Amino acid sequence: MTISVQGVRRHFGAVRAVDGVDLEARAGRVTALIGPNGAGKTTLLLMLAGLLVPDAGQIRIAGFDPVTQSRQARARTGWMPDAFGTWDSLTAREVLETFGAAYGMPPALATARATELLATVHLSEFAKQPAAVLSRGQKQRLGLARALVHDPQVLLLDEPAAGLDPRSRVDLRILLRALAAEGKTVLVSSHVLTELDELADDAVFISGGRSVSAEQLGALDAVGRQWRVTALDAGALTRWLSSTGAQFELEGAADDGSPVEGTPRGSVLIHIPDDAAAAALVRDAVSAGVPLVSIAPAGGVLEQTYLSLEEERR
Amino acid sequence: MSTVTENPTPAPEDPVKERGAWSLSWHGVSTVARLELRQRLRSTKWYIGLAVFFVIVGVVTLLTLLTMNASSVGDVPPELEGGAGRVVFDVVVFFVLLLGVLVAPTLSSSAINGDRKEGTLAILQVTLLTPAEIAIGKVLAAWAAALAFLVVSLPFLLVGIVEGRLSIAAVLVTIGLLAFVLAVVVTLGLGFSSLVPKTSSSAVLTYLGVASLTVITLIIFGLSLALTITPTKVQVWGVPSEVESSWDWSKDENPSFQCEWYESEWDQPHTERTWWLLAINPFVIVADAMPADQPAEEEFYIPEGVMSVIRYAVREARMGPELYSDQCYYGNQPMPAPPRDRDDSPVWPWGIGGLTLLGAGALVLAVRRLSIPVGKLPRGTRIA
Repeated sequence: MTISVQGVRRHFGAVRAVDGVDLEARAGRVTALIGPNGAGKTTLLLMLAGLLVPDAGQIRIAGFDPVTQSRQARARTGWMPDAFGTWDSLTAREVLETFGAAYGMPPALATARATELLATVHLSEFAKQPAAVLSRGQKQRLGLARALVHDPQVLLLDEPAAGLDPRSRVDLRILLRALAAEGKTVLVSSHVLTELDELADDAVFISGGRSVSAEQLGALDAVGRQWRVTALDAGALTRWLSSTGAQFELEGAADDGSPVEGTPRGSVLIHIPDDAAAAALVRDAVSAGVPLVSIAPAGGVLEQTYLSLEEERR
Repeated sequence: MSTVTENPTPAPEDPVKERGAWSLSWHGVSTVARLELRQRLRSTKWYIGLAVFFVIVGVVTLLTLLTMNASSVGDVPPELEGGAGRVVFDVVVFFVLLLGVLVAPTLSSSAINGDRKEGTLAILQVTLLTPAEIAIGKVLAAWAAALAFLVVSLPFLLVGIVEGRLSIAAVLVTIGLLAFVLAVVVTLGLGFSSLVPKTSSSAVLTYLGVASLTVITLIIFGLSLALTITPTKVQVWGVPSEVESSWDWSKDENPSFQCEWYESEWDQPHTERTWWLLAINPFVIVADAMPADQPAEEEFYIPEGVMSVIRYAVREARMGPELYSDQCYYGNQPMPAPPRDRDDSPVWPWGIGGLTLLGAGALVLAVRRLSIPVGKLPRGTRIA
């Protein structure tokens, strides 16, 4: 375990920002930290990065306590905050070289590392541009490169995909997967669940400052999820589903059968345990003469888990 | 981001050692200082400020020269020419000091809270730099910027050297003290910028600090003068009044009094209790450190030039009231030299000591505020 958090609490005045979080993030895996705005994700990451002292509980980063062994923990941690600035007048290369120096690298090494990282985050052509002219997405990538300067064992990323275009999101996913494959521990916080679905191995849900659930995404898949099935003739689909005795929910129509704006016409939501069951449903429906148009998972695993957790809280 | 390079740069080979908040390395300090200077110099039109500074000091120097020459039209004894030159030098030095302490706060009073607002402080704090390296690096950068203003005004100080016939050593000491005062002011600015979250507040506090050192303490000294006046026993060399009044003046208008020591009680201002208010004044420090324009041992010493007056006054203030008074007006009976307890040694080392303490206090505050992890978060402050 390279990130281990047990019973951590932190308050600001009367506000209990983090109120009992347990978390384990393992090396070689990407762990998603999921929760609504204000759930305490950023405060938790500040404590993990060694900036805030927890009121209670214990944190270990690669075995080091960020409070009592601050330097050892910091030397192994790369932190990318959700909102961060850059020195506008410095070029992208200078920013990275400065951080190399700040981690004690001699100039030649810092220069080499900066060149390497600029290529990694596709900013080589902007190496000599002042950071002020970079776009939001480019700054975000520079921030990620900055967090990687000292080749940290543990990466803490707070909303790293915010402001990234689809291409950059894919690149980010590939990069983080590659870092995990190298054996690094990657903790990514976000509330954009679809982007985490394909990225994360594990997920920790926090809400109201508490960790509510820690899941392995594979395990979540095993439980099955909601699928959306659409047919040309909704009536034919629902009649056939009813005849098979399946539980389903008709979309795009109110209880009296009139259309509802904003939802696909003639689709149903149905719980399917796994892909094999989905394939069987397609085969049976087609052979029963139902004019199927599409069948696909409705939302990601994380989104569904997240929403179900929200349900439980109500 | 599609590929990750095969050979990631190896982490620093030796295991990271725990270092205290005050642990310093030149590598760390210079990293921060270079970062600050680059960011500062490229983002602001600093050279315009320097040019304006140069022109203003030049104009003032020229005007002072013209004024002094105009007022000494006619036969100026050669021995007074030096004095006039001293005045030019004094005015230029004080003017540079004035502008310096006005400019210096802007160079550092947003160094910490401004970075916090910009989101560039926390990402530096989590690196292996120590809080002291960050604080001192920022002070060095701000000081270097302040020194640029001093360098720009050097040509005019040279005019003072030529005109005032000053020794190189005296001028070097003056320049050194100006640089020292600027260092203290930028450190105060850094301290305040670590103390309050708003950059405008820290700028105001820094200016108040500068005003306190230069003007407010002076005003307090002046206003408290009356409060220090207390009846004081003074040894008088003269004829006691009862002896004087017992003399029958109608018989003899030339009494044969013998002057003697007697004790009397006079109301005297005790500035020896409040002189330190003046000692920490940067203008006093600079003035007091200048060599005297005339040997002070001379009996009727009349200080010339602004600095000499200040120097004379502050040393008098420190000595407090004269406890021996020559009131003997009868015949040639000189006052026996009183026991030498008057200490007119320089005041400026005390001032330097006081300012050093202030600067050190500000630096300690800044380092404490930069230390992570943060336990109790000051109101209104955010970390990142």
